[in-house]
Amino acid sequence: MENKNYSFSPDDFQLIRRDGMITDTKLKTKPTTFFRDALRRFCKNKSSVMGAIILGILILMAIVVPWISDKNIDQVSSSEKFLAPKMFKAGTGFWDGTRKKERILFDPVNEVPALSEKYSVASLKSALIELKVDKEPTLIDQVSEYARGGWVMFETDAKVNDKDCYLQSKPTTFTADGGYKLTVELGDEADVNDSKLGQYRLYIVDPETGDGFYLAGDKDSFSRKYGLLTFDISAALSEKGLSSFKGAVTFEIKSSEESLQYLLIKSLSLTANDGVKNAQELSDISFDDASRMVLSEKSSNGYWSCTGRKGVHSVEVYYCDYTVDTYMLVYGDADEVTYSKTDLEGWISNGWCEYDSSVGPESFKVLSDECPIERVVSQKLNSRTKKLDSIRAVGWNYKKLGYKEMPKFLLGTDAFGYDLFTKSFAGLRTSLVLGVCTMAFCFVFGLIWGAISGYFGGWVDLLMERFCEILSGVPWIVVMTLAILHLGNNFFTFFLALCMTGWMGTAARTRTQFYRFKGREYVLASRTLGSSDIRLIFRHVLPNAIGTIITGAVLMIPSVIFSEATLAYLQLGLQGVQSFGVMMANNQQYLSIYPNLVIFPAVIIALMMISFNLFGNGLRDAFNPSLKGSE
Amino acid sequence: MSKWKYVAKRLILAFVTTFIILSLTFILVKLLPFERPIGDDKVRTAYYDKQYHLGYVYRFDKEDRDGEYGELLYKTPVDKGKAFYYYEVPVMEQYFKWLGNVVLHWDWGYSKNYQPNVAASVIIMNRIGYSIRLNIISVIFSVPLGILLGIWAALKKNTMTDHTISTLVMIFISIPSFVLISFILRIFCYGLNWLPSSWPADTAPASARAQGYIIPVFCLSFGSICGYCRFTRAELCEVMESDYLLLARTKGLTRRQAITRHALKNAMVPIFPAILSEFIGILGGSIILESLYGIPGIGKLFILCLKHKDYDILFVDMAIFTTISLVAGIVLDLSYGFIDPRIRMGER
Repeated sequence: MENKNYSFSPDDFQLIRRDGMITDTKLKTKPTTFFRDALRRFCKNKSSVMGAIILGILILMAIVVPWISDKNIDQVSSSEKFLAPKMFKAGTGFWDGTRKKERILFDPVNEVPALSEKYSVASLKSALIELKVDKEPTLIDQVSEYARGGWVMFETDAKVNDKDCYLQSKPTTFTADGGYKLTVELGDEADVNDSKLGQYRLYIVDPETGDGFYLAGDKDSFSRKYGLLTFDISAALSEKGLSSFKGAVTFEIKSSEESLQYLLIKSLSLTANDGVKNAQELSDISFDDASRMVLSEKSSNGYWSCTGRKGVHSVEVYYCDYTVDTYMLVYGDADEVTYSKTDLEGWISNGWCEYDSSVGPESFKVLSDECPIERVVSQKLNSRTKKLDSIRAVGWNYKKLGYKEMPKFLLGTDAFGYDLFTKSFAGLRTSLVLGVCTMAFCFVFGLIWGAISGYFGGWVDLLMERFCEILSGVPWIVVMTLAILHLGNNFFTFFLALCMTGWMGTAARTRTQFYRFKGREYVLASRTLGSSDIRLIFRHVLPNAIGTIITGAVLMIPSVIFSEATLAYLQLGLQGVQSFGVMMANNQQYLSIYPNLVIFPAVIIALMMISFNLFGNGLRDAFNPSLKGSE
Repeated sequence: MSKWKYVAKRLILAFVTTFIILSLTFILVKLLPFERPIGDDKVRTAYYDKQYHLGYVYRFDKEDRDGEYGELLYKTPVDKGKAFYYYEVPVMEQYFKWLGNVVLHWDWGYSKNYQPNVAASVIIMNRIGYSIRLNIISVIFSVPLGILLGIWAALKKNTMTDHTISTLVMIFISIPSFVLISFILRIFCYGLNWLPSSWPADTAPASARAQGYIIPVFCLSFGSICGYCRFTRAELCEVMESDYLLLARTKGLTRRQAITRHALKNAMVPIFPAILSEFIGILGGSIILESLYGIPGIGKLFILCLKHKDYDILFVDMAIFTTISLVAGIVLDLSYGFIDPRIRMGER
């Protein structure tokens, strides 16, 4: 190693700024604030920005949609219930207000599907877009007014009750010379629905006196003859030497302790010579259609009474698949309605239509969309003056309901006839208002509480912490339930109860942040300079802690929305204002038949929650000082 | 020793907290307007007699005409010229009577309208089994799945796999439970017809009952799977970036060795207490799930009591929820200290 000797003299140095003033220079970099920096970093996080945009759109819609929409969301309109979602014209096959149903009973008389809601056949026919009826009938064991054929199944009632059961007609008169015959077809299937083919007796009995005579079986034995059987009642009468007898046709079935016993009857007919007095009664007692026979028994003026159970077996029904335009069903061509002459004259004078009563219905012409009728079916002239008295006409039902044109509900309507789209966003608006109010209160209160607790520490902190601990130990659902039971389920109660459970989170976060920052040097420096506690809290500690606290507060809004909806599912929902939760809870029961009523609001709220969480996560990362510059 | 002192301190504190909360809840429930039981005279008389013996109502054989005892609650039908009159005891007095009943006899009161005159403990015992069984199954199901997904995502950090898992977790954690249940019911019960759309009766065959568990377990565990996954991923990612893992790698351990011997063990430290507290926490069951799926657990009981205005049982149900959540909190707190050697409990 080589040693070098350096020697310096003062002349070797020179001052660089001998004649200039040395001043601070402005920083070349762009100045930034905490929030501006956070915003910049937030914008880098694409998913969070996406979440914020969706959130913005949803909030905007929650504000705007209920405000500009003219759809009905508070008047119950039961005729407009359960309309399908409609965006495009009917018949396009997608989102067009039609509803497809499969395996629905077919009504063979009117040739329409048998709907549970009663619409007139005409409007149902006009609304049907597609109808596919099964070629082959299906055999079922259920009573239905749309079923044909099959067997009446007459069954003993209970296994334990060892009592014979009767199937008895109304009494009618039989005469020896009337040629009365009873034809009955009995089935002999071995086992039906876990019950056994039973032994029976068939007789004519006078229900009042109990006298009578047997046709099949006798006093001591039961018959086991099945198939098509004919009994000559008149012959039996003459054998007994009676000229006339008033009695009821009665089947008796022998009960058994082991299993249910049954008898299948396909048809029963009472015939007689022409000209007997009670021909009508005979035909009333006769039956050849199982379903119709059993159904007529359910009405009060049935011709058969029964002490056992009566059902049907193997009746034929047709199932169909169909697509129906729900809007045509509700708003389409209404049934014929009679309008008076003054109505018509009023419309003519308004210039809505033309009509010439001397020509007749063909002369009717619609001139304006406002005309409530579409077509005149018939007219009625005054019998004396031969002037127009009234007309019968059909028109669009929506005009009667006060719409200018066929309404269109984007997401359909619910059980009350409310527009689901508007209702959802109106409910969301309430939830958001509730969320923002709660957040604002909890933010302020929790911040103050947490700041005091965290900044001062010691006894104050201990007491405040214990208080929080007790309060936060109560599950929110208990607090909410008690508040609602005491104060009723109005908006204010919800606000109060949510605030009661919500502020502790903010307080805890604030306290932690204060503990973290209060010992820092810059706080000490400021304290040495004589700053007051207030100044220290608000100028020095809080700005550093605010990011986390804000994130927590923002994420409180979705939890408030969730709480509100949850309570609605517990039947404690918000009353008196539009509520998202109450709407969803009400619609829940239609999940199997009208899934759109649940799925669409569910999608909206899920979207809301997801975007809130994305937004919150982005916010947290953006405010987190330790992540600064890590990208 | 300070550790045990700390544990004892925490336990006493938790007990006091529980006591205060239950007392407050009891008083608040009793402050609600008195709901008169419905039913025939026999049931009602039996109910009031029980309440009289528990000390919650007064019983006189004369009517209180001065209004000293407030409104007449019930008058028994006149039998041999004798009738009893019942009046409500002041709430604070009822409170002390209640304390006595609970502490001395473990008597939590009787049902009013839901199952008239059945003891609260009997009602709860009949129902709590369903909730516990369901929740234990869902924990058994969700813990391994959640942790495995979390580990997978953490090991493949910043790859397509990680992004997919994280996004799905993000989405499913945000979806409210009632929405999730609706979707599952719609798809698997009404749409595909694979599973029963409500809880099968106890008399149903075993296979049907087993099928009945699928949807509730799925719904209950979905949230926890996502939670565990997110938690595990975050913990493991943090550990993976720590210095000691780098040291382990520089020492010559393979990535696999480093992960299984060091990273996983350390990442599990905060996860185990969470599992433990979840085990207790979910005993409360999900009220919404139980009501939507018709599960006869204690969550459904909450709604039934509200419907029948049976506030005594409601209180007991609330007390269970409160106690469970407090116990879960304390278990979480303490188990951190026991499992993680870095945390020294009770030290300043």
